[in-house]
Amino acid sequence: MKSHRVRFGIILMAACVLAAGLPRSADAAGKLKIVTSTTDLAALAQEVGGDRVEVQSIARGYQDPHFVEAKPSFLLQLRRADLLIVVGLQLEIGWLPPLVTQCGNPKIQPGAPGYFDSSQFAQILEIPTAQVTRAMGDVHPLGNPHYWLDPQNGLRIGQGIAQKLSEMSPGDAAYFAERLKSFRQRIADAEKRWDEQMKPYRGWKVVTYHRSWPNLATRFGLNVVNYVEPRAGIPPSPAHLVELIGMMKRENVKVILVEPYFDLKTPNSVAAQTGAQVVVLLPSVGGEKEVTDYFKLFDYDVNLLVQAFQAAR
Amino acid sequence: MEILEFLKWPLVASLIIAGIHAYLGVHVVERGVIFVDLALAQIAALGATIGVLAGLDAHSENTYWISLAFTVLGAGIFAMARSRHAHIPQEAFIGIAYAVASAGTILVMSKAIGETEHLKDMLIGNILAVSKEEVWRTAALYAVIGLFHYKFRKRFLLISMNSREAEAQGISIGLWDFLFYVSFGFVVTRSVAIAGVLMVFCYLIVPSVGAMLFADRIGPRLAIGWTMGTLVSALGVFLSVMLDLPTGATIVCTFGGVLVLMFLVHLAVHHGRGARDLRGARSAAPGQELTRE
Repeated sequence: MKSHRVRFGIILMAACVLAAGLPRSADAAGKLKIVTSTTDLAALAQEVGGDRVEVQSIARGYQDPHFVEAKPSFLLQLRRADLLIVVGLQLEIGWLPPLVTQCGNPKIQPGAPGYFDSSQFAQILEIPTAQVTRAMGDVHPLGNPHYWLDPQNGLRIGQGIAQKLSEMSPGDAAYFAERLKSFRQRIADAEKRWDEQMKPYRGWKVVTYHRSWPNLATRFGLNVVNYVEPRAGIPPSPAHLVELIGMMKRENVKVILVEPYFDLKTPNSVAAQTGAQVVVLLPSVGGEKEVTDYFKLFDYDVNLLVQAFQAAR
Repeated sequence: MEILEFLKWPLVASLIIAGIHAYLGVHVVERGVIFVDLALAQIAALGATIGVLAGLDAHSENTYWISLAFTVLGAGIFAMARSRHAHIPQEAFIGIAYAVASAGTILVMSKAIGETEHLKDMLIGNILAVSKEEVWRTAALYAVIGLFHYKFRKRFLLISMNSREAEAQGISIGLWDFLFYVSFGFVVTRSVAIAGVLMVFCYLIVPSVGAMLFADRIGPRLAIGWTMGTLVSALGVFLSVMLDLPTGATIVCTFGGVLVLMFLVHLAVHHGRGARDLRGARSAAPGQELTRE
């Protein structure tokens, strides 16, 4: 299954490289070329940009956006971009900055008009208020970068992108405003539906694998009481696991939320000892084949959460 | 093609790496310390991690000096660990150093705040993102180390190929081993930062092994090794563009594939008797030191 997807990806990418070598078609010439670091931002840019833009994401939806292997085609994509949209808050710090420097495209360098940092438009959680110290554990010094998992932030980012696109292509400003209006309406409708589904479970306690879900949890009123692996990539200490299992039993926590790219061994063993369920939520559009846009991402996650809570009841 | 412009510096970088590593690889294979580069790279990473723990930026000058200090320390350990009577194989010490340094890095990371992404990056490397300045700085460093090795080549080669003879001539094995591992550590730390451990390992070992399939004398072995390193770099970068695969990993697999081809040619050419005429590395036949004619 996975190797199939990988092979398909390779073929697709090879095709893109070949296609990129050909002269640009007249029809693509007028479109703004947007490159995003993640699929979620690509989905948002597509919502407001419609058919006036051409959007490509560098990371795939099933990849951990902290770690992406650089390929030659990424440099070509960046080279040809009119606009680069990033998550920011150091999420892509391990791989994107050298590629942006190397691609030699002055339009999308940090600080240039073609560099769009979405985090400046979103509501950011977990911003350290005091000086970051070692005692605080694994803290993102600029705040939690998984902020797109709140539909309100999706809307805020969409607004920012619409404004940016209107500046870059003033002739299409009315079109982008219309797209944004429709996006806002559809978000409002969808939020009603998601709120309705999640309403019975407001205030429920959950454990998450890592600090990736504060925005989703806050938006739907879930209470994240602890983490399986407080630091990404470092196996939890035995003392932490004992404390976690004790806490889950005491406070009757029945759900552990995990991202798809982490190993399930530790969460499964914690679940086995506490009678909890491990739920693999999707953090990004494209993580599963059917999750093709920003709305389907929340549909997918909300459905999984509701199923897990129902089973726990 | 537009893409060639981007690949110019990665290709130049891999050619520079191929140049010095194919030479150092001859020493490493002769000495039978195959994994010494992994161990030194890991020790350097441990140093950098401690720098980050102390509150330094992962890419700052000071972090680089700390990781270099650790490399020198590692070089000292490996120089001392050579036991004259082969009582304990040196490879054992190298393995232990690697395991302890890796685990130490994990422990230090568990105490550091954030920024662990950087440190994983240190051992993975990203040849595609190498900058022109990095390439020049690396070339200058390797030129200095290359000159140093060229000046003392007789001594280094004698110790690598026949340490007893070197000792009989009154050469201080401990001192020259230390100098060898320090210079080697400089090169490996730099190369790993650019290309990552897997690629550096291949550039070090595969050309040397490939050359030994066809030649015994150092001159021809170096010539074959350099040719192989250069051709595989170019082929690997080309394949990575054509198939759009991660460049480093593609080069590593190309090395593997080319070595298999060379082995098949070796079988065809040296079938039977001929192959046995090759003496191979000293490290492949412990206790049977070569005498130089």
